[in-house]
Amino acid sequence: MSTQIPKLETNRLSLRGPEPKDYPDFKATFTSYRARYMGGPLNAYEAWMLYAAEIGHWQIRGYGMWMIHDKTSDETYGMAGAWKPAAWPEAEIAWVIWPDKAGHGYALEATHAVRDYLYAQKGWETAVSYIDPKNLDSIRLAERLGAVKDHDAATIDGNDAVYRHPAPADLKGSQLAHGIEMEISHYADPLFKPKGWAID
Amino acid sequence: MMTEFPMLETERLILRGPQPSDAEAFMAFYRTDRSQYTGGPMTDRQAWNFFGTEIGHWAIRGFGMFIVTRKGSDDPLGIVGHWYPHGWPEKEVGWVLFDAASEGQGIAREAAEACIAHAWTVLKWDTIVSYIHPENAASIALAERLGATLDREALQPKPETPGLVYRHPRASA
Repeated sequence: MSTQIPKLETNRLSLRGPEPKDYPDFKATFTSYRARYMGGPLNAYEAWMLYAAEIGHWQIRGYGMWMIHDKTSDETYGMAGAWKPAAWPEAEIAWVIWPDKAGHGYALEATHAVRDYLYAQKGWETAVSYIDPKNLDSIRLAERLGAVKDHDAATIDGNDAVYRHPAPADLKGSQLAHGIEMEISHYADPLFKPKGWAID
Repeated sequence: MMTEFPMLETERLILRGPQPSDAEAFMAFYRTDRSQYTGGPMTDRQAWNFFGTEIGHWAIRGFGMFIVTRKGSDDPLGIVGHWYPHGWPEKEVGWVLFDAASEGQGIAREAAEACIAHAWTVLKWDTIVSYIHPENAASIALAERLGATLDREALQPKPETPGLVYRHPRASA
């Protein structure tokens, strides 16, 4: 039994399955304050166990979290993908960007690509993101992706807000999708690169 | 990334890699007090992640815990094998039988013996220990039947909650 993890390519990024050699970058973030909205900070043992679980998730579900790499340098920037451990009411689209890599639109670019993949290749009809209400950067990203707060959806444990992504039919070819692609392209273009406060 | 699971065969058992269909038996075990000496009881949410960790361990280390099945049936009876997560001072051979009904038949022993032999001959480990909760009488008894002896000097995987470290003797050629 084995899951071949597909490789996704975007303008600036290469998304691949998490590999053992990427663990130090994951550990640095998940043992830091950056992980406070993602069940952390974890100690070194917990971070290792979670990283192994990220890999195992792919094998169990057939989907999971990709490692985000720079297409040219191969440096890792974070993770984005699909996440549905036990007790999750629905499958979610999730992301995390290493703290020193925020503000370049990498999470937007990666998450937009994985959502397209999940919709087009895995047949997902809907998707949510479970976000800590205090995690304003992530809420902002969910909103830039067109997700809206779903007050009626079941939460994981009552401490999270549920953001529902636009359905595949509402996203495909929409003004929203074009807007997301334009924002991503602006990040890559020095002329349009956003100046000011860094956001994911 | 591909994870290749070897398969070990004993007289009565097949030891194979963990599969998604084993998650339920794994979670069921961790719902019960039977898991109290191996990190449980825990919620399904925790146990499911832990099961994912069991699979990911294989990918990271190249070895891991096998699901124990009887020949002729793919039902998961337990999880036995090689364990070396972050921070473990030494590599471990560990064993769990999910259900009390599987005890008393030498299943854990047969599986553990195969894994110990595999550790020496295929994985080429230099040492093998088993970390055991001090009140886990059944596991202590098995460690002793396997010829392991208590090593009071050995480093602890979790120094804040010290347990027993049983050291397995290297097989004499």
